[in-house]
Amino acid sequence: MAKVWVDPITRIEGHLGVTMETKEVDTGKMKIDVVDKAYSHTNLFRGIEIILRGRDPRDAFFITQRICGVCPAPHGEASIQALDQAFGVTPTPTAVLIRNILQAAYYIYDHLIHTYILVGPEIGIVCKYPPMVPPALGKEGVRKLGLGRSYVECIDIQRKANEIVALWGGKFPHHTSEYPGGVTVKPTRDRINLTLTKITEIWEWCADVALNDLMAIKERNEVLSERVSELLGIEHKGFATIGASWGNFLSYGLFPDPENYDDWVKAQEGEPSFRKSAVIHAGAWQNGELKPLERDKIVEYVKYSRYKDEISGKKPWEVEMTNDVVWKDKPNAYAWSKAPRYENKVHEVGPLARMLVTYGSKWKFEVENPINGRSVKVEWEVMNPKGSVIDRVASRVIQSLLFATKIMEWAVKLKEYANEYPIVNPKIPDYKFVPQEGEGWGLWDAPRGALLHYVRIKNRVIANYACVVPSTWNLGPRDDFGNPGPVEKALEGCWLPKNMSVPEVCNAIWPEKDVLGMKWGDALAKAISPLGLAEVNMEPSDGAKFNTSLALAVVRSFDPCIACGVHTIELKVRR
Amino acid sequence: MRLSRRNFLKLVGAMGASAFLTTYKADIVKALEEVKDYWHICWLNGAACTGCTISFAQSADPDLFQILTEILVGNSGLPIALPDYMETIHVASGTLAEELKERWKNSKRAKILIVEGAVQNEGFCTIHGKDFRDHLKEAAEIADYIIAVGQCATFGGIPGAKPWDGEGNPTGAKGVQEFLYEVGINKTVINIPCCPANPDHIVVTLASLMLGVVPELDEHGRPKVFFGRNMHKELCPYRPYYDRGIFITKPGEEGCRFKMGCKGPICNTDCAIRKWNNGTSYCVETNMCIGCAEPGWPDKFSPFYSEVTELPKVLGFGAEKIGEGLLGATLLGIGIHAVRHLGSKKHKKEEE
Repeated sequence: MAKVWVDPITRIEGHLGVTMETKEVDTGKMKIDVVDKAYSHTNLFRGIEIILRGRDPRDAFFITQRICGVCPAPHGEASIQALDQAFGVTPTPTAVLIRNILQAAYYIYDHLIHTYILVGPEIGIVCKYPPMVPPALGKEGVRKLGLGRSYVECIDIQRKANEIVALWGGKFPHHTSEYPGGVTVKPTRDRINLTLTKITEIWEWCADVALNDLMAIKERNEVLSERVSELLGIEHKGFATIGASWGNFLSYGLFPDPENYDDWVKAQEGEPSFRKSAVIHAGAWQNGELKPLERDKIVEYVKYSRYKDEISGKKPWEVEMTNDVVWKDKPNAYAWSKAPRYENKVHEVGPLARMLVTYGSKWKFEVENPINGRSVKVEWEVMNPKGSVIDRVASRVIQSLLFATKIMEWAVKLKEYANEYPIVNPKIPDYKFVPQEGEGWGLWDAPRGALLHYVRIKNRVIANYACVVPSTWNLGPRDDFGNPGPVEKALEGCWLPKNMSVPEVCNAIWPEKDVLGMKWGDALAKAISPLGLAEVNMEPSDGAKFNTSLALAVVRSFDPCIACGVHTIELKVRR
Repeated sequence: MRLSRRNFLKLVGAMGASAFLTTYKADIVKALEEVKDYWHICWLNGAACTGCTISFAQSADPDLFQILTEILVGNSGLPIALPDYMETIHVASGTLAEELKERWKNSKRAKILIVEGAVQNEGFCTIHGKDFRDHLKEAAEIADYIIAVGQCATFGGIPGAKPWDGEGNPTGAKGVQEFLYEVGINKTVINIPCCPANPDHIVVTLASLMLGVVPELDEHGRPKVFFGRNMHKELCPYRPYYDRGIFITKPGEEGCRFKMGCKGPICNTDCAIRKWNNGTSYCVETNMCIGCAEPGWPDKFSPFYSEVTELPKVLGFGAEKIGEGLLGATLLGIGIHAVRHLGSKKHKKEEE
């Protein structure tokens, strides 16, 4: 057994490392090294919830966005929905549309930048699909192979998506315009029209480029599957095999219907709810069985986290987050991230969870561009019921297109609503008003998954604040029952090619000499060696070097966001 | 005209990154051709939310890709600036990433260290098993230029804020300059605050350093060209409302944001003219300024929805840097304008 340690894991948000214990498996054809057990280490603690104590509740909207600069908008949204409830108001229909437009544009940026800049490079390289391979790997390739074509265009498109966020939010990252009961930004004709102009280009790109890239990757993955199966002597479905977690998925839902906000708030009040009137539904998908979301089934465990055991198994809002609950030298604890559980089971959260809860395991629908009437067919059958790298990527691409379509519909509708409803609920008398007491739950789905903000107001200030964020769900440690978290589970069984570099693996899978007269791996080696990257993803352990490319693709497929793990604190990895 | 420290303010003014690079591209490329090497950047993340990296990726003209691939050093194929180390976008992870950081330290051309995120007490942030404090100290010792981007790296930001229930800051977070002085490194840090840093500010600063020009800094280490003007007094498009005493007090109204809590009067930044996301908008257009360009943020600017004159913590602070004068002038200004406004109303009534 070797211990393979990767830290820092780049192309994610924040400071993350993983330790993987390997085991040797004899396939009958060859001996391969796979991950036996994995441990996820989150390496930063800032204590934002503690910092919020005693402040004006409305400051939470601004401060919690700074939990994460990659996903600030959803933190703002979860926070403002918790404040809505605590202030005893609901947003006006105009405000719901504005919030939806701002947030949806933000999701497009986030999903695309992840697909192309963060997780994409390994997928592009292993699948031999040049448009998703970073162009830094060679000028000739850029010209002749279209190397990095989509990668480069994505930088432009994500920026334009964020221009829509800035139109409605002042700037991105960290927008300013949401307020309890509504928004502070006005739905001017100018903003609506500019939104439509920008989203039109983005929609076309999602339909013509991103969706095609996804289908191309799916096709390449079929060839990859055959060849890897042949090579290793086992049945392997490439990116559809790696990355399976527990088969339990949780979604809180996204984008409420402005005409049916009553349906949306039920979940906040603790009632079982599917939030079926929303674009993305809420619920728990447990190995094929769909159940409604119930707020009070959320608990956090800390046996392996550096907190006092007395808070273990409690609902997050039952714990006062102060310095007192921290236990820095706790024996046997190997993480500072807590382990959130739903019905005491491990649940994966994120784009795939949203799709499963909303559409089941077969997604087949048409999206129609309301501006030009063009329609695009979307069809995907989930390839691995317990989740996989490719299913998560597919979920992001498809949601980008879906949300782009919705933005157009909402923008058109907003033209009618703008004159009909105010931007803030009239129950808010002025900017001085803060309730004496109040309590609220914001249940939203960040790009990375289920996000909960809880606020309790006493004497017009924050008495307690709690956030349960997606990256604690996905990257948290084992719970009190010893069950590994989703990423830890998803790494189990992943192949770590021993002493085979990235170019060597590529040559083995793609032996044809059809890339500028070379094998794919040789062409890559020629491009990356001058940049000092010949040994990319190779980690030394036990006198050998392990290729961690597939393992990194698994970790990245969850789109880790470590800054979000606000409870988390440094863990020194002992090798 | 050649760029020099002396004329930096005058020449750059409100020039955007694109105009700056167009004007000086030939000079930059020439400066680099002589040494046949690019500028080596090491971008470290401490107690950060990565918002500044994402903000940098929103750079529009030139965009991130153009900066890294199109503006080349002669025919070397190498870009003018390349992050040898940058966690959020780098190809390499783990051991190789750390090796590349070592390589950065040994590069012969100028080494720029960019820091995002605050510096905390030991044990709260670790990369590759080593405390962030040690990573930063080692890199700062050999860096030719150090740029702190964003409110956290400049002044400690939100990680450095205190809970308002009397407890202390959970991790002892502070800005880079303060940390360097503490560990005995006497180097000047170029501070580019705002939360996040504006990509234009980063690009223009980088480009001017390549020309050998260190921007003139104010007493907080901020380039004066970006942070030398008071937003409310000198740049705000809503200022006429203020002068006429028209204030927003309820959602949905139109007017000056002062009374709802806008921090423009105590914030020095060019946001109002430079704007964000390819010149799309800025905070005051959709709500109000919360003061993120200033030291002491957020605590001294909080509660955000509180009028500057009513801030519990700004008054004690105001005497030194923000300036009693300004605050006094603001109060006086309101007084005079309010009276004038009343006066004109009265006058109108009389006319009727």
